[in-house]
Amino acid sequence: MTTRDDRDRLVLMQGTLDVLILRTLIFGAEHGQGIARAIQTTSDDELLVDHGALYPALQRLEAQGLISAKWGTSSNNRRARFYTLTKAGRARLARESSRWRRLAAAMARVLGPEPEQG
Amino acid sequence: MAAFWRRRPQEDFSDEIQAHLEHEVERLIESGMTPQAARHAARKSFGSVVAAQERYYEANRWMWLEQLVQDLRYAWRGLRQSPAFLLTTVLTLAVGLSIVTIAFTIFNVYVLRPFAVADPSSLYGLGWRSDASGGQSFRWTDYEALRERTDLFDAVIADATRFGTSEGRTLSVAFVSDNYLETLSPAMRLGRPFTRADGEAPVVVLSDQGWGRLFARDRGVLGKDLELDGRRFTVIGVLRPEFTSLDEMPRDIWIPMAQRPARVEITARLRAAVTPAQAQAALTPLMTRIVEEIVKRPEEVRGARADLRSQATPIPLTVGLLTVFAPIFAAFALVLVTACANVSNVMLSRAIARHKEIAVRLSLGASRARIVRQLLTEGLVIAVLAGAAGLGLAAWALRAGTALFFTTLPPAIAARARLAPLTFDRRVFLFAFAAAAATALLFALVPALRASRAALTDALRGQRSGTLGGSRLRSALVVGQVAVSLVLVVVALTLARNGAVVAAVPLGFDPQGVISVNVRGEENEHTLARRLAETLAVDPRAAEVAVTAGNPMFIRSRPIAAAPPGAPVQGGTRFTLVSPEYFSILRIPIERGRPFSAGEAAASARVAIVSRATAQAFWPGADPIGRTIRIERPEGRPVEELPGYAEVTVVGVAGDVVSGFMVDGRDAGHIYLPMTAADPHAIALLVRPRGDRALGPDALQEIFRRVSPDPERFEDVPLAEMKDAQMYVFRAAAFVGSLLGAIALVLSVAGLYGVLAFTLSQRTREIGIRMALGATAGAVVRLVMGQSARLAGIGALIGLAVAFAAMKVLSAVVTLHEVSFLNLVPFAGGALVVAFAAIVAAFFPARRATHVDPAETLRAEA
Repeated sequence: MTTRDDRDRLVLMQGTLDVLILRTLIFGAEHGQGIARAIQTTSDDELLVDHGALYPALQRLEAQGLISAKWGTSSNNRRARFYTLTKAGRARLARESSRWRRLAAAMARVLGPEPEQG
Repeated sequence: MAAFWRRRPQEDFSDEIQAHLEHEVERLIESGMTPQAARHAARKSFGSVVAAQERYYEANRWMWLEQLVQDLRYAWRGLRQSPAFLLTTVLTLAVGLSIVTIAFTIFNVYVLRPFAVADPSSLYGLGWRSDASGGQSFRWTDYEALRERTDLFDAVIADATRFGTSEGRTLSVAFVSDNYLETLSPAMRLGRPFTRADGEAPVVVLSDQGWGRLFARDRGVLGKDLELDGRRFTVIGVLRPEFTSLDEMPRDIWIPMAQRPARVEITARLRAAVTPAQAQAALTPLMTRIVEEIVKRPEEVRGARADLRSQATPIPLTVGLLTVFAPIFAAFALVLVTACANVSNVMLSRAIARHKEIAVRLSLGASRARIVRQLLTEGLVIAVLAGAAGLGLAAWALRAGTALFFTTLPPAIAARARLAPLTFDRRVFLFAFAAAAATALLFALVPALRASRAALTDALRGQRSGTLGGSRLRSALVVGQVAVSLVLVVVALTLARNGAVVAAVPLGFDPQGVISVNVRGEENEHTLARRLAETLAVDPRAAEVAVTAGNPMFIRSRPIAAAPPGAPVQGGTRFTLVSPEYFSILRIPIERGRPFSAGEAAASARVAIVSRATAQAFWPGADPIGRTIRIERPEGRPVEELPGYAEVTVVGVAGDVVSGFMVDGRDAGHIYLPMTAADPHAIALLVRPRGDRALGPDALQEIFRRVSPDPERFEDVPLAEMKDAQMYVFRAAAFVGSLLGAIALVLSVAGLYGVLAFTLSQRTREIGIRMALGATAGAVVRLVMGQSARLAGIGALIGLAVAFAAMKVLSAVVTLHEVSFLNLVPFAGGALVVAFAAIVAAFFPARRATHVDPAETLRAEA
């Protein structure tokens, strides 16, 4: 799966990881490694998730009551801690995604069309 | 132990990371990696497991508590290793904290603390107001009318307090309505309160103070008899110390009234559904009727209404009160600030001395925030210890101060003076804790921030980076201290000077050996005064007796508008009705003309004696004898106390006197009019006994008893003691001011000394080199002295400027006499004191500097 060089990937900015985690969990409960993989694949491998940073982020979201967690068994029969989106988390995600979309659109307008690559 | 508090144990988190890694490895193997390569890649993409765990741990909400416990333990260990540091900082701060705690305790007792009675916030004191007048006391019938208003009040109580005598001791006695204790239900220590069921039985309930004063806290006091002004009362209860009265003067005993007193003060408990404004509106018709009967002139009735003021605390908290109290509190707080500056300075040196330790901790991975928190914790430990010590110190000082107050008051005043118990409560503890915490921030934050900024590499190599900046900060602190103490010293000197000036005001009469007797109460005062005058006139122990309409030193004599006929009326003239003996008894010289004759006094003749100032103002350079004065009220109305006195003839000129308060100085003008004891305005007496001990308090009491069934209607105070009493406020203000100034000064000297000693220890090498190069001891002393003078000089300049501003504030609060607050003497005196302090602080460091051995210092590597 390591089709790209790690150096070429985009390193996540502070705060973006939270939104991506919430977004990933919208499809149902998932464990940490699953979340990391999902972010990577849905972003076409553009985003590099620092697995080490993932867990403090999960911890933070859990403390804020945006996600809840409990131990369960994964598809390949391994024990894993599964995270689910809470109601508050859903609301936050809705708010944050519109904010990010506006930000991304605004950034795109300011930066202009992609220059021709020689 | 820490894991127990955490929501999620550390092991659980490790398990999760383990699970993650296993998932990842499995996935990578599936995508075609060898197990070994997969494990390696999984690890690599995860990063440091330890770091993740650390970050997880730090995000944990209980971590701060665990770190606090750690910090506390660490701080305590560190402090125990340097007991001298701990002791000096704690003691210094304790002094500062105790001073603000004392100020707050007094403020709390009189202003903030609600009375220890049931539901104090629903209590309202009743008074009456009209556009022209107002008052707080009512007749008994008014009380009865108000008591009927159950639509407004849950209960209405009445209090008629006066002084009584029990076996030679003066007591403050509250004669109260029979529902008084039922309504307030203060906590009892012994026995029971009196109730309506007691009727008019001769029973008495003691306050805690009265219990101590009368029965020395004898627990078997219930059922005993108490003699009061010749009547016997049975003790049925003793109150706990929390309740002393519904105002600022504690009572010794409460007695249900048997006779209707002439005047009572009324307190009402408002019904829950009624607001004060509603009650005031509803009472207007009743109040108008009452005021019509109380006031004498019809024009004073206009706008008659009830006046309800909250009686939850002794003194209501108002903006006016705060503007008076704030500058005083600021002076107390300034001492705390100087104490903080000292401790901050010591902490700074300690931080510099510990820079290596801090650098090691930084290099081992502690964050700056963590180091700052650690140092702040140390400050907090010191502050909490100091707060506790400060509370103890304040408790002691308040007890000592109360005792000092009673022993220094003139005896006749002290017998009647009462102080509310200055005890601590929840509010004081809270305040002391908050003050301690605030000081911890004040003195520990800057050193902590500075210490944590130490450059790692430099520090580890042994170089003291930041020392320069540190010494600049230390100097700034000392400059501030010097400025603050100079302000306090200038204030203290001004207050002391003010007191001395007031004390030096020539009274114009001789109070020595004269006893003043005032008649208290509002019923037939002149009958009592006349009877007493008649009795004393035939008593061989009294050499001279005079009657007046008001004795000097007790009240300001009344102003009148007076002028020679045809001339414009001049303000500032006062008048007193006196009997002919007045001038001889007070040794007031009659400078021209003659005193009143007995015949003139008996006939209320239209004659007057004027003071020298009046004579000069009315007839400059001319002989006033035989001339006439026109008298009227300032507003043009006739002076009602002087029926028929429209024009009087001057028969004599008396010397100028201070007739009222010494602060006011000598009267700008005074007119004496004649009367005898038969005059209804004669309500006060002056007695000069034959010989010093001819008429002691006991002998006077015996005479009073012969004259009136109620001897406490007479108040006897030696005039000389009244003079001391007037001076007391000034002496007390000067004493407190000097005490604050002295403490601040001592702290500043200590701070200055600390900075000089520290700089010296840093410059030992430099001084050694200078001496080796031929600098004399004198030059070295000049070096140290110069630094001290520079710091003190800058501080003094700032201090003088601030003192200048402070004086303007102070002059709004304190009454001053013949002293401009911007007087040169206190400012020059303050500057001198600070200069002296700078020399004292520099003395030991300078001497030590001259003992530096050049060879020694040059040999030793720093």
